[in-house]
Amino acid sequence: MANTLVRNSGGPAAPTFDDFVERFFYGWPSFESGSRTAWTPRTDIYETEDAFVVDIEAPGVPKDQVKVEVKNGQLTVSGERRLERKAEKESYRLERHYGAFERTFTLGETVDAEKITAAYKDGVLTLTLPKAEKARPREIAVEVK
Amino acid sequence: MLPNIWRNTGLLTAPTMADVLDRFFYGVPGAARNADSVWAPRVDVHETENEVVLDVELPGVDRKDVKVEVKEGVLTISGERKQERKARENGYRSVERHYGRFERTFGLGETVDAEKITAAYKDGVMTVTLPKLEKVKPREIAIEVK
Repeated sequence: MANTLVRNSGGPAAPTFDDFVERFFYGWPSFESGSRTAWTPRTDIYETEDAFVVDIEAPGVPKDQVKVEVKNGQLTVSGERRLERKAEKESYRLERHYGAFERTFTLGETVDAEKITAAYKDGVLTLTLPKAEKARPREIAVEVK
Repeated sequence: MLPNIWRNTGLLTAPTMADVLDRFFYGVPGAARNADSVWAPRVDVHETENEVVLDVELPGVDRKDVKVEVKEGVLTISGERKQERKARENGYRSVERHYGRFERTFGLGETVDAEKITAAYKDGVMTVTLPKLEKVKPREIAIEVK
């Protein structure tokens, strides 16, 4: 499953047993489950001819609360979703996750890290990782002798 | 644990065992009960003095593909998240997001004015505002001094 081009080192968003227990007793996963991030956004990765595309679900996260960073061959997307709605009475059901989130991806040599771009639309952060020249498919002319 | 008004209004009820199982397997309650839908968005429910507000997480869902409906006291939010053609054609490396039809339903009881429900979509979150009926709004009763 893991590929060398874009390795996904963040955990999947599937609920853990701790989530289950916390949800059962408290209604939603705890913000203090040991890690410093509260939740992990669901992420899809697909490949086109020229690039790898990473779609990260971050609904309700303001664009200026998201940080995309490349360091030592690691691409890190982090940010925070705050519970901003001031309920006059109470919030009866909180299924959404709030607090800090983070995903880290290991970049292979096939990605041109200088040219990574990010866009945010309808709650989805799309990172485009252009392939390095050497990783693109190229045709080799066959010389006829 | 459950606030009183919830029970009174019948808008939401305490989690059932089915809810617990749904949450464990699908992340949200009610996911497995609609044969037609394959996933269920996360929803927050807030209440203010005059309205009940639902925040529904629908990142990457075209608002044209979302339907909000009230029928016989039940609010249904349904729709579909479509996969991008480009992604389908080129092949995924990793898929964690849910695609296909989704649905959530909420029993409203006789608490909100179905005619005045509004919905707005911003940054992947659909906010459904349900104004309360006059009769369920809190009111002060003057005490007559005799």
